[in-house]
Amino acid sequence: MARDNKITTSSTAEYFSKNLQQVGFSSLTKAVLTTLKEAVDNALDACEEHGILPDLKIIIERLGAGTMKNSERIRVRVEDNGPGIEADDLPKVFGEYLASSKFGRGRCTRGQQGIGISAATTWAQLTCAMGARVISKTKAQRKAVSAIIEVDIKNNRGNMKQRETIDWDRVHGTLVEFTFDGRVQVNGEAGILNYLLGTSLVNPHLSMEYKLVDQEPQSIERVSSVIPAIPEAIEPHPHTMKLGEFMAHSHLYGKIKVDAWLKKAFSRVGDSVLEEMIKSGQGVNRTLLSKSLDQANEKDFLTLFTTLQNMVLKAPPTSSVLSIGEDSLSKSIKRLGKVDFFSVVSRSPTICDFKPVQIEVAIARLEERVTEVDAPAQVLRFANRVPLQFDKSACAIVQAITSVNWRSYGLAQPKESLPLGPYIMAVSVVSPFIKFKNASKETIDASDELVEEIRRALMQAGQKLSRYIKAESKAAELEEKTRYIEQFGPILVEGLVRITKAKDDQKKRATDGLMKILGRDATETKNEVAVAAKRLEEVSGEER
Amino acid sequence: MRRDRSAIKNSIPAISRELCAKLLGDLEKAKRPILYATKCALDNAIYNHKVGYLTPGDKKVATELNVSSVKKMSRAIFMLEVILRNIDSGAVNTKRELYYIGKGEIKGSSKLKPLDFQDQDESDETIDFVCEILECYREDLNCYANDRGGQTYSQQLIVTETLADGEQAVIELSKLGTSPFMPKNRPQNLSLSVSKKIDFCLIVESEGTANTLVANGFTKRHNAIVVGAQGVPSNSVRGWCKLIQEQLKVPLYFFGDLDAYTMQNIYRTLKAGSAASLIRNQDYSAPEVKFLGVLPQDIAKYDLFDYPVKENDAQEVRALKKADDALKNDPFFQDKRNKGSAEILKWLLKNKRRCEQQAFFSVDPKDPTMPEKIIIDKIKSGSYV
Repeated sequence: MARDNKITTSSTAEYFSKNLQQVGFSSLTKAVLTTLKEAVDNALDACEEHGILPDLKIIIERLGAGTMKNSERIRVRVEDNGPGIEADDLPKVFGEYLASSKFGRGRCTRGQQGIGISAATTWAQLTCAMGARVISKTKAQRKAVSAIIEVDIKNNRGNMKQRETIDWDRVHGTLVEFTFDGRVQVNGEAGILNYLLGTSLVNPHLSMEYKLVDQEPQSIERVSSVIPAIPEAIEPHPHTMKLGEFMAHSHLYGKIKVDAWLKKAFSRVGDSVLEEMIKSGQGVNRTLLSKSLDQANEKDFLTLFTTLQNMVLKAPPTSSVLSIGEDSLSKSIKRLGKVDFFSVVSRSPTICDFKPVQIEVAIARLEERVTEVDAPAQVLRFANRVPLQFDKSACAIVQAITSVNWRSYGLAQPKESLPLGPYIMAVSVVSPFIKFKNASKETIDASDELVEEIRRALMQAGQKLSRYIKAESKAAELEEKTRYIEQFGPILVEGLVRITKAKDDQKKRATDGLMKILGRDATETKNEVAVAAKRLEEVSGEER
Repeated sequence: MRRDRSAIKNSIPAISRELCAKLLGDLEKAKRPILYATKCALDNAIYNHKVGYLTPGDKKVATELNVSSVKKMSRAIFMLEVILRNIDSGAVNTKRELYYIGKGEIKGSSKLKPLDFQDQDESDETIDFVCEILECYREDLNCYANDRGGQTYSQQLIVTETLADGEQAVIELSKLGTSPFMPKNRPQNLSLSVSKKIDFCLIVESEGTANTLVANGFTKRHNAIVVGAQGVPSNSVRGWCKLIQEQLKVPLYFFGDLDAYTMQNIYRTLKAGSAASLIRNQDYSAPEVKFLGVLPQDIAKYDLFDYPVKENDAQEVRALKKADDALKNDPFFQDKRNKGSAEILKWLLKNKRRCEQQAFFSVDPKDPTMPEKIIIDKIKSGSYV
């Protein structure tokens, strides 16, 4: 080893500023989407936390050529009606990494670690030498604070510049604006429009106005005025941890006894579990359990950890997950376009890989896309109500969709592929502990248990869908039958009349009789259509 | 019971009107009319050894008027009207001509547009359906197939044909020179007589070989009738052979290839009719006909060239497969009176070889009359099944 090499530690900010690709800034187009996403996530989390129905205003502008090759200078502005941020907290929120109120708390919030928005500030700073411009006002403040927040990369600290108090005609809220190098992609699977529509789908209580580059301003109204109550956090389940995490977890609790720590810091560990640990004879005894936590050594932790791993523990409670609900999803799905039918399934919360999770699925057929019979269905993926837009093939959601045999529900589907047709399949995974494949939260790790749970939800939605399709084909059949009767009935009777030289009154009676006979057939079909329609109503009733 | 064809034919208009009146009557009562037709399939075929051909069983195909069949029935009534007009005026047509006549009628009326035939298959189906419900031949409906095969040579045979206008034409086959007589697909209009006693009738699978035999003097040396079948016998060939059997009461011999296709599709059809034509086998089969050869034992006896069935010969492979099935399900081959034919099928299945009728020309290449000699030898010695 070279002696001259001085080993240095770098700040978190330094690390991320050099590895922004890990947190969603791997391309110019992704930079725009990630910046927007982080700002919107923060705004929605803040509103929900304070029981405010969110109103967002989003503007994305092209300001000219950027400094990087083939880039454009982009401005992303997101304004919310959230509680506002105290002036002193602004540098922390926008300029410091891992300064989060949500880190490791086991709640179903969008943001988890406090990396994203600071990364957006860093990106702006690196490409345009300009931090985030923020205006914020809390209810208590008379005037708003306006400032530029920059990341002090060396020390992982936020710096506030050009601070001033200004008049702002809002009761409370935050406006954040990033100017940086990027490239705007509006349409397509990874486009901004898709992100905004997806966000509106899983946030029925959200209203937003947006203007994307040279497009006309648009607005999406909320379809629900119920603010989702984010359930209280739960402690992690021992079976979801590795030894290192287990030990690190102890540092949060200071000088308490081991048994108290186990009971307080983990879900499903109580007195009876402690008794069982002793009884199991794997080295846990009362002395160890009554030890002070800061006195416990590595061997103690190993003993405790392996004993817990070898025990059968109850699964964690599912009360910590948050659902959008079938009702809200049903209303929300109509915001995606002209939907001619849809089916929605909200599974009960369950446990996958010892983590509580809830799966919700919405499948809709879009009228304006009926001609696209050969195109694959559009997949919208959500993790804790945040759209996922990249690297879909490895995602648990896509794997679950392709594993379902959609042909049995009346959809076309090439082998082991997405089904075809003008459908949107939206799948939402909500869990306080979602396992992503990467830090930029683009792909949900495909564990067997999770894929199976998603698959079940999809199959339920598929069954509802097939009832719609059946009702449709019945209706088409009726139409065909009616057409047949009208066309061939008179031809048949007139032919018979000519051959037999029958009289007019015979002809009339025969015509009436024929219509009666064929009408009975049509009535039968009509009844079938009615039964199908009734089942449909029952299904929709279940949804309501 | 033997039905009189001309009586049936004459009664077609009356039967049709009766049927239509019943349909109309049912409709007036809002009762669903049902049309019954004999099921023409192997599972409804019975081999009646007393008559010697395949007869229909009791199975009927019922067509009930409902939304799905209203188009089929409307088309049938439409076609029936065209046919009745033909019968009335004495006009005749082929199926293809009826297809165009139908299209022409429909073109002239917007009301009939939904009936329009997309292709001839659709009008053919309609004609067949009319035949089935009236239980008659399409010839009874003045719809004739193109007369194919049946080229006939004889120095003794005289055919008298009754023409549509009632006049009679007398054809002496000996006066036709090298031209064959072609039987029309209307056996009921023909009657046969002879100028001298005829000993037998030889039906040859290949009309080329039949022609060769005659050109080499077969009919000069023997008091016989030689008929070229031209492959699978058409209705006219089948009806003609039946007529020869009925009116001349001479032995009939079939001379063709030794293979599964010839045995099942040509010989069996000639002798006992087919499952598809159950209702007409009575008039279109000649149960007295014998299979002269080529017989399996002829190969050894005359040292004939034979060869294995080629695996890529789809027709032969299919025929072999069918032969296996026929031995199990075909009432003709199952009947003990046709054991000889069944034995040949078994031999073919076992050996997977075939031998063509023309192989007789290899016996003595220098003698063009060798095949004739063998044929006569076989007839005299009773070497047939």
